[in-house]
Amino acid sequence: MLDHYLTAFSAIFLPQNLLAICLGGLWGIMAGALPGISTSMGVVLLTPFTYAMSPITAFTILVSAYCGGITGGSITSILFGIPGEPSSVPTVIEGHSLAKQGRAAYALWVFLLCSIGGGLFSVFVMMAATPLIANFALRFGPPEYFALTMLGLSVVSGLSGGSVLKGLISCLFGIFLATIGTDGITGIERFTFGTTILLGGISFVTAMVGLLAVSEIFIEAEEPFKEYKGSAYYRGMREEMPKASEFKKNWPTLARSPVIGTIVGALPGAGATIAAFLAYGEAARTSKHPEKFGNGAVDGLMAAESANNASTGGSMTILLSLGIPGSNTTAMLIAAFMIHGLQPGPLLLTQRPDVVYGIFVAMFMANLFLLGLTIVGIRIFLQLNRLPYSVFSATIMILCAIGAFGLNNNMDDLYLMFIFGLIGYAMRRYGFPIAPAVLGLVLGDLAELSLRRALLLSLGDPLILVSRPISAILLAAAVFSIVYPLFKKPKSLEGV
Amino acid sequence: MKRDEIVVNIVMIAFFLFMLIQAMELRFVRRFAEMGSGFWPILTLFFAALLSVVLLISNLRKYILEKKSHAEKRVISPEVKIALRDRRRKVALSVVCLLGYIVVMPYIGFILSTFLYVLAFILALGERRKLVLTLSPILVTVIAVIVFAKFIAMPLPKGIDIFATFSRLIY
Repeated sequence: MLDHYLTAFSAIFLPQNLLAICLGGLWGIMAGALPGISTSMGVVLLTPFTYAMSPITAFTILVSAYCGGITGGSITSILFGIPGEPSSVPTVIEGHSLAKQGRAAYALWVFLLCSIGGGLFSVFVMMAATPLIANFALRFGPPEYFALTMLGLSVVSGLSGGSVLKGLISCLFGIFLATIGTDGITGIERFTFGTTILLGGISFVTAMVGLLAVSEIFIEAEEPFKEYKGSAYYRGMREEMPKASEFKKNWPTLARSPVIGTIVGALPGAGATIAAFLAYGEAARTSKHPEKFGNGAVDGLMAAESANNASTGGSMTILLSLGIPGSNTTAMLIAAFMIHGLQPGPLLLTQRPDVVYGIFVAMFMANLFLLGLTIVGIRIFLQLNRLPYSVFSATIMILCAIGAFGLNNNMDDLYLMFIFGLIGYAMRRYGFPIAPAVLGLVLGDLAELSLRRALLLSLGDPLILVSRPISAILLAAAVFSIVYPLFKKPKSLEGV
Repeated sequence: MKRDEIVVNIVMIAFFLFMLIQAMELRFVRRFAEMGSGFWPILTLFFAALLSVVLLISNLRKYILEKKSHAEKRVISPEVKIALRDRRRKVALSVVCLLGYIVVMPYIGFILSTFLYVLAFILALGERRKLVLTLSPILVTVIAVIVFAKFIAMPLPKGIDIFATFSRLIY
């Protein structure tokens, strides 16, 4: 194991990978901070450009963008009172209150140090837990893989937002899209209607760029003409560096919140938002000064920020060890693995330890670099924020077009991106969540192949899926994961 | 509950049923002791169509209940009508701009099509300041060409005839 870490450190310390951490981290911070772009959209926009890179550089830039995005979401929350990400809502409540009291720099320092602390804690948990879980999962055969993909698809209830029914339809639509193209077992064409564009199946990246990014720009186009204004509260970071005693005073919150964040991040479909709210709620419950909550409670800000960044390590742990996405962004990362010819899951650690350990080290370094990158990012963000939104969205659209075209240097991909942009717009317009469709598209093919192989093993007897203990437990967990949110909503999310 | 949501539900059901009929043709394509190419799509499309019917029924119930509770027709003010029309117009123009960009790019090349797209798109979104209209298409195009065509060396479309000659001067 030590050998793998040494190799990974020597790879990540190559100039191109250090540059990838800086660029990815800054891009993620911008994506998280700027309204209209989310962390997952930032990762999707970046994915096509990683196609020509080596897998280690590609995942270094992508995981840095992921960590940066979760951190960047809190910049607008503190300075403008606009949550860049849903997980930053508690930060708006406490951080923006502090900013309005003239303590924006102080709030930014607290958010930054707690984010990095939470992120680093979860990276260490990821380093320890991933090999153990992956080792256990090596016993899996096709029935277990099918059950695992079902567990992965079951996060649909967590990603559905308002309506689980619409989320399920969206997910089934994604699974259907995954069946388009040549069937891997019989070699027959399915739903291609004689066209060559669809023969190889629908490209994940083209579909994701269309569904997520292009549709978002169409939705934003509906809004009245707008320009962003600078923050009146921010004057610089040097003024109000917090004292060590303030962190010492709040050590129970600082110890508890990253643990909550990492565990919740590892739960399929839960992600950073629930992690931040749970940790914030717990901080409010145990605080000596609960009356300060809502008016700039530092412990509330510490709890939310430690937990939402800690969720990244938790999500990545189950992605790397089991191949299940814990959040929207990790669902997008599955597509990135696939375009590099890799399948996240238990076999990845044995087949490509260089990539897995490279990701561990890249996430560790990205969290360390975030301290400097966020300070630079705040300055760039305040400059970018002066750009007219129309120019900004035109630039994003050109990035989408170049990204879709660059995959195969084929204009057909641009037409597919356009069609998916229209589908995504209609889905958003009528309240169908996009993330379950992407999840279905990414996991659908593996689910079908695993089921067909499992039934081949049992000569067509479907009982094989429930007669093997691991498969039965995973399928039961998948059913629980779909049914539970229908009956239970976390108290901390009520009214949000 | 708006009527167009119900129309969308009906379109979804029609789409899933059409694909289900297509999938039925695949049900006998299989290898020995194998469930075949059609099983999984049929299963998926069947449940997608079924859930869409459930959604349609639920939406119809809401629509009828809402209609009963607001028996008199709601009057939409002229300002709201204008705002709605303006929103739809901007989205339609954004869609047309993107489609136009994709259609003309292979003929006039990346540089000119990007320049025209940025100009048309920001105009469609309501930008009227001359400085922004003049500078932003040039800056965005120049940055995109430097980063993607020069630095990353992506083979972006060059166009045909005179446009290809022009593109070759730059990348």
